[in-house]
Amino acid sequence: METAVKLGFSLAGIIIMLLLPPYLEGIARRVKARLQYRRGPPLSQTWYDLKKLFSMPSVKPTKRALFTWAPYLALASAISAALLLPYGSVVPVDFGFNLVVFFYVVVLVSVFLMLAGLAVQNAFSHLGSAREMQIILTVEPLIAILYGVLAYNSGSLNLYTILTGLHLTPSLVLTYMLLAYALYVESGFVPFDIAEAEQEVIGGPLSEYSGRLLGVFYYAIYIKRFALLWFFISLLTLPWIGPIETSGKAALVLALQFILTVAFYPIIAALEATNARLRIDHVVKMNTRAFFAGLIILAMAFMGW
Amino acid sequence: MVTTTKDLEAHFEFECRACENGRCAKANVDAILSEREGLRDFYEAFKEHIASCKRMTYGQYMFAIDREVLPDAVLWWHNHPKYKETHMSTAVGTDERPLNGHFVYMPFISVQVEPLNMDKNYWVFLRAYLPGDDPSFPSVAKNLPAALWIEREVKDLLGFKPTNHPDPKRLILPEDFPDGVYPLRKDMDYRHSPITEPTTEYRKTPEDTTLVPMGPAHMGIEEPAHFRLFVRGEEIVDVDYRGFYSHRGIEKTGEGRLTYNQVLFLAERICGICGYQHSVSYAMAVERLADVEIPDRARYIRTLMLELERIHNHLLWVGIAAHMVGYDTGFMHAWRIREPVMWLVERLTGNRKQYGMNIVGGVRRDLLDYRKEDVLKTVKQIREGTQTFLDIALNTNTFIKRAEGVGILPYKVAKAYSVLGPTARASGRKIDARLDQATRTATAYDEVDFKVPVYKEGDVLARVLVRMDELFESLWIVEQLIDQMPDGDIMVPIGKLPEYEEALGFTEAHRGEVVHYVMTGEKNKVYRWKVRAPTYNNLPAVPEMLKGYHVADAPLIIASIDPCYSCTERVQFVDMNTGKIKVLTEAEFNELSIKYRGVF
Repeated sequence: METAVKLGFSLAGIIIMLLLPPYLEGIARRVKARLQYRRGPPLSQTWYDLKKLFSMPSVKPTKRALFTWAPYLALASAISAALLLPYGSVVPVDFGFNLVVFFYVVVLVSVFLMLAGLAVQNAFSHLGSAREMQIILTVEPLIAILYGVLAYNSGSLNLYTILTGLHLTPSLVLTYMLLAYALYVESGFVPFDIAEAEQEVIGGPLSEYSGRLLGVFYYAIYIKRFALLWFFISLLTLPWIGPIETSGKAALVLALQFILTVAFYPIIAALEATNARLRIDHVVKMNTRAFFAGLIILAMAFMGW
Repeated sequence: MVTTTKDLEAHFEFECRACENGRCAKANVDAILSEREGLRDFYEAFKEHIASCKRMTYGQYMFAIDREVLPDAVLWWHNHPKYKETHMSTAVGTDERPLNGHFVYMPFISVQVEPLNMDKNYWVFLRAYLPGDDPSFPSVAKNLPAALWIEREVKDLLGFKPTNHPDPKRLILPEDFPDGVYPLRKDMDYRHSPITEPTTEYRKTPEDTTLVPMGPAHMGIEEPAHFRLFVRGEEIVDVDYRGFYSHRGIEKTGEGRLTYNQVLFLAERICGICGYQHSVSYAMAVERLADVEIPDRARYIRTLMLELERIHNHLLWVGIAAHMVGYDTGFMHAWRIREPVMWLVERLTGNRKQYGMNIVGGVRRDLLDYRKEDVLKTVKQIREGTQTFLDIALNTNTFIKRAEGVGILPYKVAKAYSVLGPTARASGRKIDARLDQATRTATAYDEVDFKVPVYKEGDVLARVLVRMDELFESLWIVEQLIDQMPDGDIMVPIGKLPEYEEALGFTEAHRGEVVHYVMTGEKNKVYRWKVRAPTYNNLPAVPEMLKGYHVADAPLIIASIDPCYSCTERVQFVDMNTGKIKVLTEAEFNELSIKYRGVF
């Protein structure tokens, strides 16, 4: 494809990735409100919230630079994760092993959140960080295995090559199912919002944050959630629609990705609204079980099933 | 001018109405002791130390007993092998120096000869006189945790000295309140400037644990309270509790110039959501003292209001419990279902809460006949709504996972702490003050049919189930009350109250038994008014429930007893501008009540 078209798609991707996540949150709030027989806020409410937070100065309880930098670093990681994904047929930042990079930058968002919590003297921040760490330590090995199955199935570590090179096997179907769970956990939706539980640890690592820095953290978390969902949607669509030769088809694919992303969010919101928060030991147990299931899937993939 | 002890002495002369020469001579001792099962056994066991006994009112007996044997006597009742559910309910400390030169410390025992049989059960008051210059008494708290708080309370507010108390820290007054200033003593001088450097005194953090301070302000606790969790990892090893941040001086206010009728309106403002329970308890105590029988219609209307209050409070609570574990949909729906009750109560009383409805001797508003339809319609709506809600909530896997097997309170611990209400019934205690003690002078529970649900598990889920079962029983009670509502007057005038007589009023609030002790003074005033909300007994048991569970469970466990801090912490005024704390004297209260005459 021509450079201009590529540039156009990249630009569209960047706009979607920056603007859409708060609106997705807005959709979730509306859906939850409807399930609770409320009217709910307008769709752009999350944007208004962010705007207000961005306009307010932050109270800093510590002199450590990490406290100030962590939100921006988390945001940078989240944005890089989103840039590694395909929009239509174009990946804005495309290079050899970018599946590995995608894995790492997504983890980095959680890592910065955790470090931010540990940068202050606050029991609740520390508890939240400890919880975040336990979740990462148990869910990331599972995700790594599932990515391994994807890479083995398609014979590549490049995201776009994987997406176009997958072939349907029983192990792949199981991988999709387990991946849906793992990505949901990593996104930190209820019942897995344990690290930031308001009633228990008053926001966990975020409890000392306020104003602009808090807004940046929220924004980073929304973009991370968007990136994980967009990745999953791409896995659902791109492998099965055949080669994308024309830019017209690419635009159609982008539209499909967009619509599916927006359509998936209400499902997530409904799951969030109808569940109570789990306890960290429950989640660790569930993740460990899923990890062993992942190992079996990996073995199946190696055997060619 | 400040009224001092000396002035009071000039006016009052103490006499024990039922007793002469320290023995119950006028009253027939044998007749009293044979009225109820168990009284004679107690008398025989402590004959040497009992100075007098008397029946204060129907089903309430008082023994004046030597302070030396107080712990033995309390334990004799509390650990009675036959009367399993007998418990020490609370105690009261009174400054009776203006009357007879003595302080009085008096534990109340709710004796349960046969659970849920109001004709057989009774209250026992163990009145111990303490000399004015040495108000010490042997502590029973070491063997009976139920007495832990009340002994600290009388130490703070009246300067009593419970000897050998295991945890003699301040309970009610702040740590920086000067020693030797006791707000509830009758000669308390307000000119004493009690503020010093603010300090706090907490238990030391045990080794290898970290401190997680839940409070004084925390998301999971709606009112100020301070649970200091000592945790290892996420596991709670030990808990230190400091509360009484919303102490309001209500008892002292009531003992000032307010008349017995005005105190009632103060009583219902003790709590934001169980106010009617408090006003009925208070009214019941005064009606017992005045020895009046209120009209049947008033009793039915009161019972109706009490049950409506229970219905909306249980729904409120289950919503909070869902919110505590992040299940906000459950929270929203529980409160949506609850709202029509508030509308109904507004139609019936003029207030969303039942405020201003009650009065000593009856109720202030009649129930219009055409409103009965509204009540039945709302009851039907609530029953259907709650059924659907429970079907959904109890099938939400994550919610059950959080509530089941968490915060277990064994029966023995519940008994030792005198835990009350649904919390106790979820741990297998078969108690319910609606049926346990004679309530028929104030309410109509003896004329309706209902069950008292009891669960054995003792975990949070059991507390949810107990409350929900109770809610359906309450709906059934409301239907019966509407059906059987008698005609007639709605109130009876009280007239003059006897002087220096005591009685107890009680109701089963949705958290447990509410107890109001009233001792009358001269001129229809209240000499001593003691309020004990159920949370006062339930809260000390929370640290026991928390140990061994996760920090994540703490908000739910704390919420599971439905704590009400403002009920529990009732005596003190803080000047917002200067931060100075002063405790008002009787004279000041008098000025206040003159100033605001007509407002109350």
